[in-house]
Amino acid sequence: MRPRTRGLLLVLWLAALAALGVFVVTGLRVETDLRAFLPPPRTPVQRLLLDQIGKGPGSRLLLLAIRGAPATDLTRLSRGLAAALARDPRFVLVADGDANALATLDPALLPYRYLLTPGFDTQPLDAITLRAALEQRLADLGSPAASLLEPLLPGDPTLETLALARRWAPPRAPALHDGVWLSPRHGALLVAQTRAPGFDPAAQAIALAALRAHFAALPQRGAARLEVSGPGYFSVVVDRAVRRSADRIGALTTLGFVLLLLAAYRSVPSLLLGALPVATGALAGLAALVLIDGGAHGITLAFGFTLLGVAQEYPIRVLSHRSATETATASVRALWPLLRTAIASTAIAYAAFYASGVPGLQQLAVFAVAGVLAAGLATRWLLPPLLPARVRDAADTPGLAWLAARFDALPRPRALPALLLLAALTAIALAPGPFWQNDLGALTPVPPALLARDAALRRALGAPDVRYQLLLQAPTADAVLALSEQVTPALRDLERRGVLGAAELPSRYLPSRGVQRARQARLPDRAALTADLAVAEHGLPFRPGLFAPFIRDVERARALPPLTPAVFERTPPGARLASMLVHQDGRWYGLGALVDVRDPQALAHWAAAQGGRVRLLDLKATSEQWLAAYRTRILEALAGSALLLALAVTLALHGPRRAWHVLAPMTLATLLALATLRVAGIGLTLFHLVALILAAGLGLHYALFFERDSDDRAERRRTLHATLVCVAAALLVFGSLAVSGIPVLRAIGLTVALGVGYHFALSLLMAPHRRLPEPDR
Amino acid sequence: MPAPTPAATLAPERLIAGLAQPAPARTAFTEVRYVGVLTRPLILRGELVWLGGARLERDVATPYRETTRIDGDRVRVVRPGQPPQDFDLGRAPELKGLLTGFRALLSGDAALLRGTFTVRASGDVRAWTLQLAPRDAALARRLAGISVDGSGHALRCLRMDQGNGDTSFTLLGALATSALPATPTPAALATLCAGGPLP
Repeated sequence: MRPRTRGLLLVLWLAALAALGVFVVTGLRVETDLRAFLPPPRTPVQRLLLDQIGKGPGSRLLLLAIRGAPATDLTRLSRGLAAALARDPRFVLVADGDANALATLDPALLPYRYLLTPGFDTQPLDAITLRAALEQRLADLGSPAASLLEPLLPGDPTLETLALARRWAPPRAPALHDGVWLSPRHGALLVAQTRAPGFDPAAQAIALAALRAHFAALPQRGAARLEVSGPGYFSVVVDRAVRRSADRIGALTTLGFVLLLLAAYRSVPSLLLGALPVATGALAGLAALVLIDGGAHGITLAFGFTLLGVAQEYPIRVLSHRSATETATASVRALWPLLRTAIASTAIAYAAFYASGVPGLQQLAVFAVAGVLAAGLATRWLLPPLLPARVRDAADTPGLAWLAARFDALPRPRALPALLLLAALTAIALAPGPFWQNDLGALTPVPPALLARDAALRRALGAPDVRYQLLLQAPTADAVLALSEQVTPALRDLERRGVLGAAELPSRYLPSRGVQRARQARLPDRAALTADLAVAEHGLPFRPGLFAPFIRDVERARALPPLTPAVFERTPPGARLASMLVHQDGRWYGLGALVDVRDPQALAHWAAAQGGRVRLLDLKATSEQWLAAYRTRILEALAGSALLLALAVTLALHGPRRAWHVLAPMTLATLLALATLRVAGIGLTLFHLVALILAAGLGLHYALFFERDSDDRAERRRTLHATLVCVAAALLVFGSLAVSGIPVLRAIGLTVALGVGYHFALSLLMAPHRRLPEPDR
Repeated sequence: MPAPTPAATLAPERLIAGLAQPAPARTAFTEVRYVGVLTRPLILRGELVWLGGARLERDVATPYRETTRIDGDRVRVVRPGQPPQDFDLGRAPELKGLLTGFRALLSGDAALLRGTFTVRASGDVRAWTLQLAPRDAALARRLAGISVDGSGHALRCLRMDQGNGDTSFTLLGALATSALPATPTPAALATLCAGGPLP
């Protein structure tokens, strides 16, 4: 090809890449909600769980502590921060201590207090009850609390508003100092609920930045500092740690990669041009995501680029296999049948992720398959005409001939594969320890110190357990409230027995319609109440007519329609109730928050005896079972793709005899990698499965090229050269992942690096070898 | 001891320092409260115990029994046969102001007193008065002022005027046991506190 045509082709290619780049940048929406990597829910409880994990009030709750200053400063700072957060629309709710009792009930709803408190359930609102209450109020006026209670007196001589405030106070609140929660160990404590879902690190990072800015804007902070904890904070910490680690590894491996290719080919143009197919693949993969639904998860992209690393093998093969006398186009044409098989088999392996049904993995499949195909086609049709006309023959690389001779001389006992297979299967079957890692917590990159601090803050604040919730099921919202009322005494009993610290059920905020009606029916009418009050007041020095507002409110309460969750929702306790009532699939669910669950078994046992209407929801166990059930589906998808792969390789190599030399080492190496993980006591996760597939894809390539047992010694050396460069590149990338501090990246890196080692060794040893010909099978 | 001049005696610092008592300090009290919602004053008798620092106990013996324990900002009111009531002084700043003043006087800590109030002294060593006005505007809305009457090194009376118009007199020491009419007037109590005879 003439230089001008070459130049034109290069310019056109680069222009096409730039156009793709613009398309991707303008069309791609990067998502961060980690729930995209959870399998789609199958049962109502799983759906509820998924909803709770992301949007439930527990996951949006941030625990805050201000410490490092004298108590009076902490109190002031806590008030200031709470006031700033209350004005910030990014926060739904903030609490820093003892809420003003009256502020919690909308004035328009105030008469409802007679329907909301159980004050007159056992003794009626009559002259005897009133007399006892008035005597207490007289003593109150002589007590230090007088100035607090005096304003309540005319409308509420029985102090039902205070009874409500007590009822609605957090079940286990920390000690108050100047009306602010203050713990000797943790300083001033606050809780804030974000509007953003807990597992959306991008949205959480914005909320956290706003939180820190509010704190930084407080006057006279001195040495005081703000500590934050909670699921939202952790999702940001994890996201940053993964990003930092991925960036560092990315930079390091890119540098290593450049050096490796320079050492292997000693040509800068080859290096730069060799990068174009993978760049094309990456942009094509992203463009495919944009075309499908426009969204790509951050994790999809990170894993996707890792998977796409396989495609770097295609230009490496082209560069290594070209002899000095051959044009690049002719070399690629000769290589193409093999390359085509490699590309197709990788695409088949990656397509297995699509069958998983997990949205994040499906994106991954689209990206990787589109990317691998585009990189392969670019290697075949675009790269060769651009490569330099004169190259060094990789076969002449110093030391390669010696190495090839050593590899040729390696013993290849015929029984080796059988022995290895036996050893691998034995190790897989007999190694102690569970096969699967079901504890998702083991994969969290959150430092243990932060987890311990979270647990301590949670205890100090009496914040609800993040693992256990009580689930009440009924056909209507009101039936959920009635059920909640029905089980409350039993739960109080469990609290007394120390099974749990406290339970917060929906009926704590709103009684059922039936209970409200019953209370209404027991309230005296105006005439009766006036007469009873006159009797009760006899001889007491209350000003005449003082209690007129009380008589008016009771009269109103008798005529009110029962308070419904919808009307109640506008007030803070009503909003709390709304977050505890979920309508889904035609049923209503009540979520009971549990504090300090000490004996989950006893609690589950009790719940199971409630006729199927009450369940102890164990978020950890449910999500683990859910993922475990899901694994089966992924394994099925993998088995399907393995069959397809075998079929494709068999067809491409014209029959099972040659296919055997490719598929046998690949299978055996995968089993050996699995056995090594088992012997090392590592429980498998979905990430290990992804890594084993990736390694198998790489191994398949090695085996495919080794299987092509050429009579030409130089061609053999070129194959060895290409494979060694590929193995070195893979070990570079995955070896550096293996030493990462992020458990997920470490799992993938370790598994792939291990797999690559086995795949290389076995595809080398099990390839047909002319000097020691394999018998027909 | 040389007879001090009246002006020197009434320097508030020395006056307050002279009031210092070792904890625990006990004294009988009679409290008369004029509350807006009541047609006649409440009269309570009992004992006040200063346990040192910010710890104080108030035992009411008549007309009913009630014990209040104050520790820092935490207040617990206990009546026989009733669940204890807890509240936080942050919600009752006027009471917190009064307690700060009371504690400063019992510990002879003029600096603590001046931290919350401007202090004005009048009278002579046998019958003096300290007028305490809150420095903080928010507190001043809830607590118009406190006046403390005393004689020599002894407190006689605390008068608290709340922002809502309610007033209370706390008669201390020897004055606490004086007989009072069924409905004493504020003027009569003011005279009694100032060292005058009961009308």
